Amino acid sequence: MKKKVLAVLLSAAMVMSLAACGGGGGGDAKTDDGGSAADSGTTAADDNAGSDDSAGGDKGYSFEIIVKSFQSTYWQAAVQGIEQACGELGVKANSNGPANESDIADQITMINDAIEKKPDGIGLAACDTKSVVDSLQKALEAGIPVVCFDTGVDEAPEGSVYATVATDNEAAGAVAAENMFPVIEEKIKAATTDKKVRIGEVNQDATALNIQQRGKGFINKMLELCTDAGKKVAVVGNEYYVNATEGTVAEGEAEVIIEVGVPAQTTVDLASTEAQKIMSKDDTIAIFGSNQTTAEGVITANQTLNKLAADPAEGIIGVGFDAGTPQKEAITNGQFIGSVTQSPLMMGYECIYTLTDIADGKDVSDLPMDGYWYNKDNMEAEDIAPNLYD
Amino acid sequence: MGDIILTMKGIDKSFPGVHALDHVDLEVRKGEVLALMGENGAGKSTLMKVLTGIYKKDSGTITYEGKEVEFKNTREAQDAGIVIVHQELNMLGHLTVAQNLFIGREFKKGIRIDDRKMNEEAQKLFERLNVNIDPRETMSNLTVGKQQMCEIAKAVSFDAKVIIFDEPSAALTESEIEEMFKIIRDLKKKDIAMVYISHRMDEIKVITDRVTVMRDGTYVGTLITEKCTKEDIINMMVGRVIYEDPKTESAVPKDAPVVLKVEHLNAGRMVQDVSFELHKGEILGFSGLMGAGRTETARALFGADPKESGDIYINGNKVTINNPQDAVNCGIGYLSEDRKRYGIVVQKTVAENTTMASMNDFMNGIFINKNKEKEVADKYVEALATKTPDVDQLVVNLSGGNQQKVVIAKWLTRNSDILIFDEPTRGIDVGAKNEIYKLMNRLVAEGKSIIMISSEMTEILRMSDRIVVMCEGKKTGELDISEAKQETIMNLATREIE
Amino acid sequence: MANKKAFGKLKGREAMVLGIVIAMVVLFSILSPTFRSYPTFVSVLDNSYYITLMALGVTFPLITGGVDLSIGTGLVSYALIGGYLVVHKGVPIGVGILVCILVGLLIGVFNGVLVAVMDLPPFLATLCTCMITRGLGPALCSSMGVSWPSALSEQGAFRKIFKFTSASGTVIPIGIVFMIVLVVIMSFVLDHTRVGRYILAIGSNKEATRLAGVNVKFYHMMAYMISGLFAGMAGVAYAATYATIYPGSGAGFELDAIGGAIVGGVSASGGVGTILGTFLGVFVICLMKVGLPFIGLQANWQQIFTGIVLIAAVLVDVVKKKK
Repeated sequence: MKKKVLAVLLSAAMVMSLAACGGGGGGDAKTDDGGSAADSGTTAADDNAGSDDSAGGDKGYSFEIIVKSFQSTYWQAAVQGIEQACGELGVKANSNGPANESDIADQITMINDAIEKKPDGIGLAACDTKSVVDSLQKALEAGIPVVCFDTGVDEAPEGSVYATVATDNEAAGAVAAENMFPVIEEKIKAATTDKKVRIGEVNQDATALNIQQRGKGFINKMLELCTDAGKKVAVVGNEYYVNATEGTVAEGEAEVIIEVGVPAQTTVDLASTEAQKIMSKDDTIAIFGSNQTTAEGVITANQTLNKLAADPAEGIIGVGFDAGTPQKEAITNGQFIGSVTQSPLMMGYECIYTLTDIADGKDVSDLPMDGYWYNKDNMEAEDIAPNLYD
Repeated sequence: MGDIILTMKGIDKSFPGVHALDHVDLEVRKGEVLALMGENGAGKSTLMKVLTGIYKKDSGTITYEGKEVEFKNTREAQDAGIVIVHQELNMLGHLTVAQNLFIGREFKKGIRIDDRKMNEEAQKLFERLNVNIDPRETMSNLTVGKQQMCEIAKAVSFDAKVIIFDEPSAALTESEIEEMFKIIRDLKKKDIAMVYISHRMDEIKVITDRVTVMRDGTYVGTLITEKCTKEDIINMMVGRVIYEDPKTESAVPKDAPVVLKVEHLNAGRMVQDVSFELHKGEILGFSGLMGAGRTETARALFGADPKESGDIYINGNKVTINNPQDAVNCGIGYLSEDRKRYGIVVQKTVAENTTMASMNDFMNGIFINKNKEKEVADKYVEALATKTPDVDQLVVNLSGGNQQKVVIAKWLTRNSDILIFDEPTRGIDVGAKNEIYKLMNRLVAEGKSIIMISSEMTEILRMSDRIVVMCEGKKTGELDISEAKQETIMNLATREIE
Repeated sequence: MANKKAFGKLKGREAMVLGIVIAMVVLFSILSPTFRSYPTFVSVLDNSYYITLMALGVTFPLITGGVDLSIGTGLVSYALIGGYLVVHKGVPIGVGILVCILVGLLIGVFNGVLVAVMDLPPFLATLCTCMITRGLGPALCSSMGVSWPSALSEQGAFRKIFKFTSASGTVIPIGIVFMIVLVVIMSFVLDHTRVGRYILAIGSNKEATRLAGVNVKFYHMMAYMISGLFAGMAGVAYAATYATIYPGSGAGFELDAIGGAIVGGVSASGGVGTILGTFLGVFVICLMKVGLPFIGLQANWQQIFTGIVLIAAVLVDVVKKKK
């Protein structure tokens, strides 16, 4: 997986150097009066402006970045990425965000304030994709380009959002399957119609787009890998996911069963019940929790069942998604073989690069971000650790 | 005087245990105001309820506009033109005047209610009655007097030919009453017949043409108002011998100490400057007509309702009573007239109700000593001859008299020295009544003191050592039992307002 | 003797609920082989602790004829605050637990003042505190999810109060022992102390109770204090059972508890109810939550089914009363 990260970094570096070549003249770019920027620690990059240690040089752009919740560690990681990019490019970014992800109205005020400041661009992680539409219209009228990151805004007015930098959830789900498969490959190969093996997946719901994509990404990748290994696969459980999958066989004929559990409500107790239901079955060999809540549901269920193990010979293989202390602990003590994390850091980083490209007058397009696999070995790595919030 | 529009003849009505109406006659003529008078429980309201179809008569005939009728409900009576204006206002405060007037028979435009038409019709109605009320006004913003006018207007709007006023002036001020009388005189000119139920002698004299008097569910007679005096009417209302051995003189020694002294008690309209004393071992009767303010006085004294001013002394010491808790701590117990609402906790057992006011004596640390509770409850069940299978019975399953005994037991357990009995025998059958009387006599013999509020003249005369009479929130007299006669009490209770 | 009789009268309802519980266990066991296993049994208990605690507490306001809607969002909020102090401010775990319970008690007092002293309708008052508690936790904890120390860490020993894993790996759900102890204590409070006696009396006839010279304001308030206290304890149980407390969650938890109490025979109009009934009623709810997924019923159908079963349980009572 490290390769992928490397690839991203490399491509980022390329974009960077291209940007440097393109060289938007710093003189004619609007500069902030510095007062508003100085009060934000995130514009430390400002000090580096013009220094010759970066490939970017001083572009003099200033951007307004609005995240979903300024205080949470996840978004602090994003801000870290933003700072890094600013330092490299010599641009300024003023980051802000409401106290809580549910403070939708506060965020709208912040966006509108940001538009008033007439920056060269706005980076936005919308708390509520519907509520921000009006503000995006305003930005469009004011001629300020917007880049959405982390969360796309489907209903954005035509032309307001230049690009979206967000995790490709389908790919991220596939990452989990790709990393799980080698560990349980032996068992899958040994499976027969009489001695089926079962792989579980717990999805928080069947309605949210990102969860749907992640869930399907995992199923389809696992299906593909098992089929390549010459096995017939059935998908059972939640109707949405069963119906969304093609190329499966009936449960009776299958050698591998993928069982999808969805709790009736998105509460931790019901998530753990779903996990427990699947883990209680004797033929279950692996389970995937596709977000923090359901991954922790798997961990909670295991407190009673005690079946998770790092070695497929000893028990069920567990894989999670996102971070949080319980999940990190589960990985450290061998209950999970690893998890997939999104990279708020990289999204922040890419957001600034995309904004700079726009300011430079280049064409930009949506930038799907990968999920990053992490396990016991790379948890402390520089490119991973900042993403793993507590 | 006009033709007869309504005749009720030989109306008979019994409820279980009570012969409420015993062959009562009534005759109402067009364009007259007929006063219907009688003591509490004489049967006035029952008669009117039979007329308007709320109760079904056992026998007798009702002839209305020359035809024999029997209304099944008030709606039918209304449609025929007989309408009651109630003492309690039946208005919906949130709605406008017009919406209230036409409730249940709204004008419609398609499926939509036509508010404009309702307002116009209401306006016309008020103009006819010479009343100045805006139909668009919200009902609760009107004064009580204006609301009463709306009630009358509503009655008129049914094209009423007979309007029954059930104590319409109870809540009105002098000037409002004057205004109402103006309307009544107008209605008279329109040949509408009216029945006017009231205790206020001066009003009767002013507004009515004839007076029909009832007593104990029977028809006594009818007088021409102009030609009779107040005393004539009172004599007809009372006119009965008290046969249940009334007390002739007080059993309390002249020098008995004063246990409770109330001075200048004020609490709203119903309690105005009431002062009295209660002696040890005395039964102090509180007499008066409905709404005289007796219960309100008791509740204010007990701290159940807030009071505006007044001093209370227990055994010569001034005390502060702001809530029932204070009163109970001062040794006062209150037996409400409405046991179900205020006296007993119906879903709890006899034992639990018995100890409700004196939990402190039944605690073992933080735990309730249920054995002791049962012991005491058993003791009182026996002492008061309460009929219950055992003390774990829920009181909801007991009869009225036995529920009353449980309430008494509650206050005896508390060892209250001053007991307020508010209508102690209401809704209790005769046998149980006598038991309650005996019990009260025993309690005062043991040194307790009792305030007894009663609307039954016989009860007052039989039980009291002294009698306080109230009328319209004021104390109008205080009599020793030796000088108390029905007529004197009734005179005080119906004192004309200045 | 007196107690035996009183118990005898209520036995009908409690026996019925116990019957439902047993019937559900049998049904689920037949329909799902994986259901009839020791871990599932432990899991049902696991999922029941916080609901049981909420239900024991909310039984008191319910008996007064009121309700406490703030317990669901409350318990999450209390657990967030306690956990935040432990994880981010380094206070000892014991203090965190204490804070969690005390904040619950405080909100209970607040509810009590609103309802008993200021005479707000309980539904309205506690709906408002429901909103307040929903925001309170996140506001005080910088909107972050909080994970109390895990069972493996040094400070995680408190999780063993509810579930003890022996050296050989056997899981012992000792939480149920504490629940039973609390049921016994609260039954005693309801049946044998002044607090319980007066709370029942207030629910049955508040005015008559007041006229008996009882300080109804105080005892009415006590009902909400007990509810708040137990919501605080439910917060601890929740933190001990689950990994991360998410800000903003908890709305709807109170319905499980109230539903359990009603199924257990607490009258929604007040005056009637037992702790044992509530305790058993909670198991009807919890069995449903765990059992329905096990028999393969999908998410939406679980909710529908739960609603139907609740109606049936309450209907039995109504029909019985009419007879």
